[in-house]
Amino acid sequence: MGKTWTVFVREYVERVRSKWFIIGTIFGPLLFGAIMILPAVLGARTKASRDVSNVVVLDATGTDLGRRVADRLSGGLQGDTALARVVPVAPPALAEAESTATRQVMAKEIQGYFVLDSATLAGRSARYAGRNASSISDLDQLRTAARQAVLAYRLETAGLDVDRVQSLTDMRLSLDAERITDEGRGGSGIANTIFGMLVAVLLYFSIFLYGINVMRGVQEEKQTRVAEVVLSSAPADALLGGKVLGIGAVGLTQMVIWVAAAAALAKWRGAILGAFGVPALSIPLPSISAGAVVLLLLFFVLGYLLYASLFAAVGSMVNSDQDAQTAAQPVIMLLVASVLFLQPVMQNPSSRLAEIVSWIPFTAPVMMPMRMTLVAIPPLELGAVLVGIAATVAVVIWLAARIYRVGLLMYGKRPSLGELARWVRRA
Amino acid sequence: MPDPAIEIRNVTKRYDEHVAVRDLSLTVPRGAVYGLLGPNGAGKTSTIRMLLDIIAPDRGEILLFGRRNTDRAVIDRVGYLPEERGLYRKMEVRRVLRFLAALKGVPAREADRRIDAWLERLALKTPEKDWGAAKVDELSRGMQQKVQFIGTLLHEPDLVILDEPFSGLDPINAQALKDTVVDLKRAGKTVIFSTHLMDNAERLCDAVCIIARGEKVLDGPIPTVKAEHGQRHVALALDGPAANGVAEVLADRALVSRIDDSNRFFEIELAPAADPQALLARLVHAGAPIRRFELVQPSLHQIFLQKVGATGVEEGVTGNG
Repeated sequence: MGKTWTVFVREYVERVRSKWFIIGTIFGPLLFGAIMILPAVLGARTKASRDVSNVVVLDATGTDLGRRVADRLSGGLQGDTALARVVPVAPPALAEAESTATRQVMAKEIQGYFVLDSATLAGRSARYAGRNASSISDLDQLRTAARQAVLAYRLETAGLDVDRVQSLTDMRLSLDAERITDEGRGGSGIANTIFGMLVAVLLYFSIFLYGINVMRGVQEEKQTRVAEVVLSSAPADALLGGKVLGIGAVGLTQMVIWVAAAAALAKWRGAILGAFGVPALSIPLPSISAGAVVLLLLFFVLGYLLYASLFAAVGSMVNSDQDAQTAAQPVIMLLVASVLFLQPVMQNPSSRLAEIVSWIPFTAPVMMPMRMTLVAIPPLELGAVLVGIAATVAVVIWLAARIYRVGLLMYGKRPSLGELARWVRRA
Repeated sequence: MPDPAIEIRNVTKRYDEHVAVRDLSLTVPRGAVYGLLGPNGAGKTSTIRMLLDIIAPDRGEILLFGRRNTDRAVIDRVGYLPEERGLYRKMEVRRVLRFLAALKGVPAREADRRIDAWLERLALKTPEKDWGAAKVDELSRGMQQKVQFIGTLLHEPDLVILDEPFSGLDPINAQALKDTVVDLKRAGKTVIFSTHLMDNAERLCDAVCIIARGEKVLDGPIPTVKAEHGQRHVALALDGPAANGVAEVLADRALVSRIDDSNRFFEIELAPAADPQALLARLVHAGAPIRRFELVQPSLHQIFLQKVGATGVEEGVTGNG
């Protein structure tokens, strides 16, 4: 135990002292800060509506509907109306006008063009073509503008007073979605999805990054032949255990710093934005219980142990970086499988596929935490999955330790699967 | 009589098809400087790794100071300098040494005191420059070897195992190593040498064991080993180039059974019934410019060649290839 501790301390201290760790740890919070603050600052500087309103409205309705839409796109009567240009066209000349507008879009003179015709007036359809045609928020703004303009036009033609119509139809309704779980209301739905994704990606990257670190560490000890000196003082299991735990502790340290920094940023975001002279918008934060945090940590620890042991075994059996790349492939594939299923599981966290990938011990450390934040998982299922991963971890560590013990002192070519099996039997 | 430093009992180690060590038994008394000699691939490194419990023997048992070597406490009394040396390259020298000492259970404060003493002794810490604060990869090869050597001795081991300690050492470091070995011996420590350089072994060791193909060929104190191989050896040195007649005499199988020809120095093993006086007479008659003609005990080198022979070198798993 004392020797494991000595190895652990060396791994931890040397890594935490390294430039790599200090830069990474500071860079993380800076990145979070940039993600949280920059969009708001930039958004305030370059009003998003400028882009949306930089369009040509091809008005084939023969009414002033085009003007109305342009006004609303530019922010109503007080807005900058210089941008959205209205081009009245006769219905037969529409095709011609559209191809002119298309060329303008291609030449980047305008963002896109909006086509209003009799179907628009009838309240059925309008068309939009432009560079931002895949931006949900831009399209939302365009749709709202068109709807409001048609409604206002109809109300006015029905004889309502212009000012009243204006005040009645001018609204920007936003929809805040909230999630309800077994425990009751669970914070914002969209925030939960983002949070689930974030958790999965963070777990994946951490397991990957620190697993690779274990592999490199083992490789270094083998290639510089330090391994033999250390093995003459400590059993192989102590060296392996100390290394895996030490690097894991470095990972946990970094995560704690990041999470704390992110929480602080989220909390003081208003004040920080205020310092930049930007009003803070409230962003919905997911509600996370202490129990969930403990569970997430448990998944990280188990997932890390699982992959770090595998990576350590790989590191011990190779003699060069090229060899390591090839030999690490199967382990990396196992881990990458989790990311492949990220999208489908996020879209439908209750599907059979989502259930299966969150049960398999090799994908569960990433997938289960994500599902957990999206839907309520029965405690029994959670418990069973955790036990399943833990059992797999035990078997993998046992196998990896045996490969490691033999591999660390074997030089020469990379072992075949048959040789590996012999190593496991011999150790 | 205290327990011997090392007792190896009928140890066998096999790798897949290849037998690295076969039924090896030997005893090393306390306080001895002991040579483990053998060609490359003879099983020296495997034997040492088993001594240190880095690998387990398939059969047999090993006792250090009377205790099974699976007991970690007894391994902590051993210092090991492997043939292939290495340190953590990105680490500060002092931190590496502290780590190695801590692994052997030396408290940090005590380790720091000993590290300073050793760094000064081996000229790695001078008033101008303290290499202890440098990173390992800033050191020259010779300096790294010194650091490694310090790491082997920091915990003041009772048994020091040096695997091919002279390989890659420059003459100055080699001398420092020899001096240290003599000091260790004076302090009552046991030192095991593994080497294939017989000259070093002959000068430093009290006793030797020669192994080849994983088996013990002979062992014992050097005087005994030499005596067992008789007074049938002649050291012959010539002052100038040998005339043709001399080569003829030396090639006479009735007089000479084996000869190690080093151009101007010859180590000769006499034929079973040959009289050394007759050999001398023949050489003088042949006009050899003799500078030295002496009946000697065979050198370890000769015994080694005689016992192991050119066929003693076997390609095999050394763990280092």
